[in-house]
Amino acid sequence: MCLGIPGRIESIDNEDALARSGTVRFGGVGKTVNLAYVPEAEAGDYVIVHVGFAISVIDAEEAEKTLAMIEEMEGLADLEEASPGESS
Amino acid sequence: MNEESKQAWNEGQQRANASYGAKRKRITIDPITRLEGHGKIDIFMDEKGDVEKAYFQVPELRGFEIFSLGRPAEDMPQITSRICGVCPTAHHMASTKALDMLYSVEPTSAAKKLRELIYSTFMLEDHALHVYILGGPDFIVGPDAPAALRNVLGVVDKVGEEVGLKVISMRRRLREFIAYLGGKVIHPVFGLPGGVAKGINPADLDGFKQLADDGVAFAEFTLQVFNDIVLKNEEYVKLITSDAFTHKTHYMGLVDENNHVNFYDGKVRVVDTDGKEIAKFSEVEYLDNIAEHVEPWSYVKFTYLKKVGWNGFTEGNDSGVCCVAPLARLNAADGLATPKAQAALEQYFGMLGKPVHHTLANHWARAIEMLYAAERIQQLINDPEITSQDIRTIPTATPKRGIGIVEAPRGTLFHHYETDEKGILNMVNLIVATQNNAARMAMSVENAAKGLIHGGNVDEGMLNKVEMAFRAYDPCHACATHALPGQMPLVARVWNKDGEVIHTLRRDSQVVGKV
Repeated sequence: MCLGIPGRIESIDNEDALARSGTVRFGGVGKTVNLAYVPEAEAGDYVIVHVGFAISVIDAEEAEKTLAMIEEMEGLADLEEASPGESS
Repeated sequence: MNEESKQAWNEGQQRANASYGAKRKRITIDPITRLEGHGKIDIFMDEKGDVEKAYFQVPELRGFEIFSLGRPAEDMPQITSRICGVCPTAHHMASTKALDMLYSVEPTSAAKKLRELIYSTFMLEDHALHVYILGGPDFIVGPDAPAALRNVLGVVDKVGEEVGLKVISMRRRLREFIAYLGGKVIHPVFGLPGGVAKGINPADLDGFKQLADDGVAFAEFTLQVFNDIVLKNEEYVKLITSDAFTHKTHYMGLVDENNHVNFYDGKVRVVDTDGKEIAKFSEVEYLDNIAEHVEPWSYVKFTYLKKVGWNGFTEGNDSGVCCVAPLARLNAADGLATPKAQAALEQYFGMLGKPVHHTLANHWARAIEMLYAAERIQQLINDPEITSQDIRTIPTATPKRGIGIVEAPRGTLFHHYETDEKGILNMVNLIVATQNNAARMAMSVENAAKGLIHGGNVDEGMLNKVEMAFRAYDPCHACATHALPGQMPLVARVWNKDGEVIHTLRRDSQVVGKV
């Protein structure tokens, strides 16, 4: 299943149009993400990130619903089958 | 929401919660493990220190099918697009088509055209992202360029700043058009069983016609860039056609009644390694044709051609391994339905032969599909029926079973639902594009490892080469979600013949200020 987890933009660290980047927080982890393709995104917005690029902005309500669904699914996955190998 | 559906919803919720609580064994809710997920590669060496076997493993989101049970089928176009934020429109459309069948309802002609229009817009937008941003660095900058330059800034250096800005602005306009019809891009509320929720206001038509023309020009420009930078460079062409990146497998894709590629609708056509048609099937026949193989080392269920059978991760007409996505779509069809894209396709096959077995040719195929998508938008937006407001057939039949198939940017996508008479889901099966390509992707990774490891010497640059092998497929894995640009987190473990780990190569994504 493909997956895009929403993260919240904490700060915009580079405003150059082509190299626009910022710190995006996913739970407890902050990551540097390219924001050039979502020029409309500002600090505080939620974005979907794919291989290091924010590809769309979503509103806070949507983001929270998505995160809640993912959490629920993570739990459900455990009862499907045992892990096929080492987990890290 | 009316009383009856509210009740159905509540019942469904309760059932889902009850089965969740009853079966749950341990608490693992930790989105961070998901975020920190690494693509894992296990390489097993023989006594000479050469590669015997390599496994490519990715963390996978599971539990989706259980999560869906007990919910109203009508929620699926929203749920699936929300979960799969990377290509929401593909899931939304496959799901909407599954609902058409579930409620035995035929969308109106205008609704079908509107769906294909929005879908083609999505394909153009998504492909542009990959050509310029995700896959571009391998080609436009060059596979041997230093890692520091193999990113989007390197691409901009090469093609010029104004091109970079053009890509950003084009993508934004295409997404605004999707939002015009579908509400939010990431959470479309467009498809309904029997039609769509919104049509086009004739007053807005001229702006969209302009967008379509600009889209065609943009796609033509993209192919020109590919011609100038990639095809005129002998070294690139050598790399594309090299054995390391070549696999002779079956190919699959949706085609229309003329066997032309169609992203939105049609029958699934399968060709063998010689390009000969061996199957052509509709939605209800998919289970007769596609089966899933489970390997003990992976969560991913590897799809294969049922009638050929699973014969391991092998090439050739006796192997059920079947490839999807741009390369496969062009191989599986007899042509493209629009003139400019067809001309580009002829140049492509003229140079590489047909079918094309070179994985890296996916990038070229993707650029050709951009042109097809843009021309298709142009055709549809100029169709007199496109502003019709006859956009929905109201369903009246009792639901039972629905299957919807579309071509997602990353390949053929199947949604299959079964419900009770109130439309509450009791069976959900999704086969996603990346899963269809998983077997071939595993073969590509093994090939790369075999080519790079000899006599026990592990080349430190291996991860980049391996990454390039699977990036061509544009896989949409959980681990592809949160890396720094061009730096998918990867771990490769090398095992000797005694089953000991003798090397671990690790590349992490950059974490800023862990709390």
